Amino acid sequence: MTNIGDLVEGVVRSDRRSIARAISYMEDGHTEIKKEIMEKLYSHCGKAHVVGITGPPGIGKSTLIGNISVLLAQKGMNVSVLAVDASSPYSGGSLLGNRIRMQENLFNYGIYMRSLANRGARGGLSVSCMGAVNVLDASGSEIILIETVGAGQADLDIMNLADTTILVLGPGLGDQIQAIKAGIMEIADLFVINKMDIDGSYFAMKDIEEVISMDDPRGFRRRVTGTSATDHAGYDELVNTILDHGRYISGEGIIGRKRFLMGARWILESEIGRIIIDPAMDIIKKKGTDKNPYVLAENIISQLNAGVLKEL
Amino acid sequence: MPENDTFWKNKLMELEKRNSKPEGDKTAKWRKTTLQKWNSATGYEEKEYSNSSSIPIKDIYTDDILPENMDELLGLPGEYPFTRGVYPNMYRGKLWTMRMFSGFGSPEDTNRRLKYLISHGETGLSVAFDMPTLYAYDADNVRSQGEIGKCGVNVTSLKDMEVIFDGINLSEVTTSMTINAPAAILTAMYFAIAQKEGHDLRNIGGTVQADILKEYIAQKEWIYPPEGHIRIIRDMMSYCTKNAPKWNYISISGYHIREAGSSAVQELAFTLADGFYYVDMGIKEGLDVNEFAPRLSFFFNSSINFFEEIAKMRAARRIWATVLKEKFHATSQKAMTLRFHTQTSGYSLTWQQPLNNIIRTTIEAMAAILGGTQSLHTNSYDEAWALPSEEAVKVALRTQQILAEETGIIDTIDPLGGSYYIEYLTSKMEEEAYRYFEKIESLGGILEAVKKGYIQREIAATSYRRQKRLEDEKEIMVGVNKYVDPDEKPINILRIGKDAEEIQLKRIKEVKVGRDQDKVNDALAKLDEAFRNPDENVMPYIIEAVKTYATIEEISDVGRKIYGGWKEPVIV
Amino acid sequence: MSGGKYMADGKNQSLFREKPIKVLLAKPGIDGHDRGVLVLAKAFRDAGMEVLYVGLLPTPEDVVDTAINEDVDVIALSLLNGAHLTVFRKVMDIMKNKGIDDISVVGGGTIPDEDKPELEALGISGNYGPGTPLSTIIEHVRMRAEEARIKKLR
Ligand code: B12
Ligand SMILES: Nc1nc2c(ncn2[C@@H]2O[C@H](COP(=O)(O)OP(=O)(O)O)[C@@H](O)[C@H]2O)c(=O)[nH]1
Ligand SMILES: [Mg+2]
Repeated sequence: MTNIGDLVEGVVRSDRRSIARAISYMEDGHTEIKKEIMEKLYSHCGKAHVVGITGPPGIGKSTLIGNISVLLAQKGMNVSVLAVDASSPYSGGSLLGNRIRMQENLFNYGIYMRSLANRGARGGLSVSCMGAVNVLDASGSEIILIETVGAGQADLDIMNLADTTILVLGPGLGDQIQAIKAGIMEIADLFVINKMDIDGSYFAMKDIEEVISMDDPRGFRRRVTGTSATDHAGYDELVNTILDHGRYISGEGIIGRKRFLMGARWILESEIGRIIIDPAMDIIKKKGTDKNPYVLAENIISQLNAGVLKEL
Repeated sequence: MPENDTFWKNKLMELEKRNSKPEGDKTAKWRKTTLQKWNSATGYEEKEYSNSSSIPIKDIYTDDILPENMDELLGLPGEYPFTRGVYPNMYRGKLWTMRMFSGFGSPEDTNRRLKYLISHGETGLSVAFDMPTLYAYDADNVRSQGEIGKCGVNVTSLKDMEVIFDGINLSEVTTSMTINAPAAILTAMYFAIAQKEGHDLRNIGGTVQADILKEYIAQKEWIYPPEGHIRIIRDMMSYCTKNAPKWNYISISGYHIREAGSSAVQELAFTLADGFYYVDMGIKEGLDVNEFAPRLSFFFNSSINFFEEIAKMRAARRIWATVLKEKFHATSQKAMTLRFHTQTSGYSLTWQQPLNNIIRTTIEAMAAILGGTQSLHTNSYDEAWALPSEEAVKVALRTQQILAEETGIIDTIDPLGGSYYIEYLTSKMEEEAYRYFEKIESLGGILEAVKKGYIQREIAATSYRRQKRLEDEKEIMVGVNKYVDPDEKPINILRIGKDAEEIQLKRIKEVKVGRDQDKVNDALAKLDEAFRNPDENVMPYIIEAVKTYATIEEISDVGRKIYGGWKEPVIV
Repeated sequence: MSGGKYMADGKNQSLFREKPIKVLLAKPGIDGHDRGVLVLAKAFRDAGMEVLYVGLLPTPEDVVDTAINEDVDVIALSLLNGAHLTVFRKVMDIMKNKGIDDISVVGGGTIPDEDKPELEALGISGNYGPGTPLSTIIEHVRMRAEEARIKKLR
């Protein structure tokens, strides 16, 4: 299956094996191959509404996704799921445990689900995720739910890819907010208080409502939904809120916008090094240490500033 | 658990204090002089010893460690707190019951095996079921393909049970059935046969395992979420208390917990915590603890660390008596006594050099007897290979008979009582168990702890630790990671062929043709109604249903529709 | 433009090198003996693999579906209930019907020696039983994963 053309064609036909293999390339492939696949897929992308779901480990993200994916599928939508698990910092291995929570529902509704390991400090997770999202989008997914580990910078990066970011919290909020990466409160579009069946969840909801009613720089009013897997409650409301937000961003014409920018930035960052920094360093290397390195670099920058960037 | 939530904490503090007595001068002096001199002369390097429960083991125990109130803690046989045994004359009065877990292939095969064992001196029956039966799938379900009779006997309808017990007088033997999720159905079938043969249910003695908590913890045979099964146990409990007073409707099992990988202390703690849950449930149901608690019996494992096992069993009796009395306010002695069955450890037996297993089983059986068991199953030497062959099961039974008749092990009661080491270990394991009780309470009780996967993860962690220690040769299994034999020869094993499956498929077909379908539908509809009314007892309806030859799967499906299935929490 | 380009400069060979081995551990059939698979899951993780274990009682269809969707390198089947000949065969039949030959299948559990040739013939290797060192199993999974990777690059 190394013929990329065939692979891309398989993805567009929504062939499961092609989708799965294409995602493997996005996870592990050489940059060149990722680029090629992404370029080829792009013309088939743009329909999917990407929903990122984050929150501390154990809060119930996987269970929640298992349940709402079914409701979405029942509305006739083509749903797929990406879920990220943590890798062991010692061995680099990972127990991909998210799937077990969703498995049954996925099979019953033929929902595509894929587990990814975050692979610790090796980075690149957000790029793999972006690639995977593009694959799923091109394969016809209308809504893609991404579950993140719930901690660390990579999570924030993934959220930069989502059209809708949902932060899931629960009773005992204080500790959880401490645990998750600062900044996530700001970028979340929607909030969920899960485990509403447990004492203290009501107060958690009130707390969040208070926080988000104070600011509202964005056009869409941020909301909190209470859910409970035990009572199977709150899911309809949550699904409606997600779809509402989807309609809002579509209306604003910004659906897929983040992914669009992220894609461009990824290419720029990986290529600028090769095209500009490497030759610039070759020039600088010819100079002796009697020269001031800061001034040399500034000189290069002013050369570049002399009008290289034009409108496309 | 109700009322005094400081109960566990206080007990734990009491035990910690009791077990932290420092070593006395006499021993300290011996260490400094005699021992040290010897060690340096012989070049002995200090090494750490510990048991499966990671309890550090000292080189010597002396009277230093005995608590002040030793007499009270031990009591005498047949007296509170029963540390030394539940009956005053123990094996002099009644030998343990020799109960060999058996069942394979078709009901006909199993009927023959049961009669074979009776003819060789077995004194109680114990039936093993196959996988489809354990999970309540009929023989004709696609899932059952290739599974029928492989792990025990297949029971799809009452017809099969009639064949299994054909020619066996149900008033004369007691039968133990290792069945859990569908326990009420198998109980109903047994009762139906008994009634048909004209026995009074009041005289029918036997046991079904039905301990559903340990299923979620260890054996993993469930059909519904806990709520569904707990409802059924509740109903069996009150039905049997009133109508079949000799029927042990639950056997609270540590065996499976241990085999799933727990330590001895974990087995002790999690099993008793399950037991307390059922006591609490009976009390909440409005039953008198003095009336129903005597019907609760236990099932423990006996593994290869001899002293640890004996201490565990003694500690179990003491804890049960204490908690029943102090926490659940039982007043009758019978309600406070912990009676138990023991099975030697299957996990300790090896595929390699299988004859060595006979030795292991003998040692484990001795521990069970010294631990005061009421009944015993000894594993066969081919345990790691397959269900036991006739030859292997006979050796296993003979092992018990040799111990009982030749060794003098039964002559005196609790012969290890008063041993410094045994008494220390008993007391220490008791303490460690209370540590878990307290932890479990803090998680919201045993059911919550199981639903959260806490108990399962604790066990999996111990199991993985053990496996790694074997890998690193820190622990030894002879023939596996030491004294490996390069020319292993395969042994003769029992193989279960296709015929059991064919017989069962044929029989279920005939049953379905022969039965009155209207009666079946009617019985199932009534059962459905009963399930939906929480105040109704489902037991009589299940009995009616089995009598119409409704199958195990059809009857379970009624509950499946109401309760749904169960997905276990993430363990690894 | 085709994938050939990457083959040519050798990059394709290294394509998956970085990737941890991905294994699906599964117990198809009616079998609750999970002590062994839970041990293996942790052992595989500690050997640097990415491990999926989806719980008890999956059907053979579930197992193959999961393996495809997750694009694993190896399916590790475990049964202690004596039904391996029937149930493992079902898994292999489904794989064959779907034309999947770039996922390796290994087996283990309570498998009598005399059944091993039949399982091997189906394409299931290993078939390790009680007492097998973890290192032997890990070694074997690595070898079979390597084979699968090579097929994926065809
Ligand atoms: C522990 C155990 C149990 C525990 C299980 C706890 C649990 N959660 O796992 C309990 C007590 C609950 C239990 C119950 C039963 N058991 Co049981 N059990 C065993 C026992 C003693 C050990 C198995 C074990 O866990 N070993 C330790 C682990 C680490 O080893 P392992 O699983 O063998 O795995 C190793 C290798 O086999 C290999 N391996 C395993 N899988 C795989 C997969 C791959 C891909 C690879 C490469 C390697 C590999 O690697 C591992 C590391 O070396 C065996 C006998 C024995 N000594 O083997 C019987 C045994 C498997 N049980 C048996 C039976 C019949 C049952 C019951 C059906 C009894 C009944 N009728 O009620 C029930 C059914 C339970 C259920 N729900 O499925 C039979 C099966 C008979 C057969 N196949 O012909 C056995 C063989 C015992 C016997 N002789 O009767 N059991
Ligand atoms: N009481 C309660 N428990 C829940 C709820 N949702 C999930 N859980 C439990 O919380 C645990 C963690 O769930 P999981 O979905 O794996 O959380 P994740 O780590 O955030 O993906 C599991 O044991 C779930 O059964 C809920 O609404 N109420
Ligand atoms: Mg999760």
